[in-house]
Amino acid sequence: MNLSSNQNDVIAAADDLRRRTLAHLPLALERLIYLASTRDYNTGLYHHEGLAQRYSEAAACEGLANCHRESFHELLSAPLEELVRQLQLYAYSIGALTSNFITSWKELEPYRVAVPVGTDPLAAEFVFSNLKVALTIFEHRLFQRSPSPLA
Amino acid sequence: MIALIFYVGAALGLLILMFVLARPHRAPVEGIAHQFVEARGSLHTLQQGLLPTDLLNRIFDRRDLDYVNTQPSPDVRRLFLSQRKAISLIWVRRVRSEILNLMHFHRSHSRFHTNISILTEVRLAFDFAALLIVCRILETAFSVRGPYAAPRLVQSVVTVASRLCTASEKSLAFLKAPNTPDFRGDSSRGNATV
Repeated sequence: MNLSSNQNDVIAAADDLRRRTLAHLPLALERLIYLASTRDYNTGLYHHEGLAQRYSEAAACEGLANCHRESFHELLSAPLEELVRQLQLYAYSIGALTSNFITSWKELEPYRVAVPVGTDPLAAEFVFSNLKVALTIFEHRLFQRSPSPLA
Repeated sequence: MIALIFYVGAALGLLILMFVLARPHRAPVEGIAHQFVEARGSLHTLQQGLLPTDLLNRIFDRRDLDYVNTQPSPDVRRLFLSQRKAISLIWVRRVRSEILNLMHFHRSHSRFHTNISILTEVRLAFDFAALLIVCRILETAFSVRGPYAAPRLVQSVVTVASRLCTASEKSLAFLKAPNTPDFRGDSSRGNATV
């Protein structure tokens, strides 16, 4: 990131983000996906209109990046059981058909673009690998609960 | 008399040879900067990416395996073990590769720039060799018996690798900029303040 910003503004912007926005997203997985969505794929810079107005473009960008790294680290530290729980809750919270969610997550692997810049490849691969297993566990549970009508 | 001249000449020759061999060599400074930067990169990767305890505790955490064992489907267990095995292999291969980088750096440049005693050099050489062998053994163990095959060997790899990182850090310390206060950014034109 080549924007310069005052360190105090960055801390204040990140705190603001945690209190006002991230507090409504209790799952680390939700926060990770949300924060990754505020990042421009072409430039790698984060953008949040409200934060940028209150602080500065650069402070908002760095504050978002810090929170993104935080949520990734939380997910990295989560045991597999916790990851399965988060994945289930996340799938139910987005309101899409759960089977569609599982199919698209297994095929498109959208979580691969949700990793903060500068993450070590081993940590990233570990999270992807855990998410893959968690998705399979979730899929098996779903299949057991609602067997196919033809079965 | 001739014999005496011969022995004195031989002794002088040996002295000159010993002096030449014992003379401290200086590595050429030009063109080796990238090797220092590479070594610094390897050190950073090891310390920040491959050796942090919290990440390794997660990768080799048996609670995940216990949880997977409670799942009714054998496919889940199979997938989990193959995934964790792949991660373990990535880890041990990357540790080995970064340690090799550091070893090459030590062998070719480090000792010319820092005062390392012979005892320390021998100890370092032993640690490097032992670590590379243990990494190979661990790689085989992961491949044959899975990610939970040798927790003690994992621990010993971490211990020795950390020790080598500390030694390399000392060799590369001169690359670090001395602590300078941050620029305040309130300098007036032509009057820089720090």
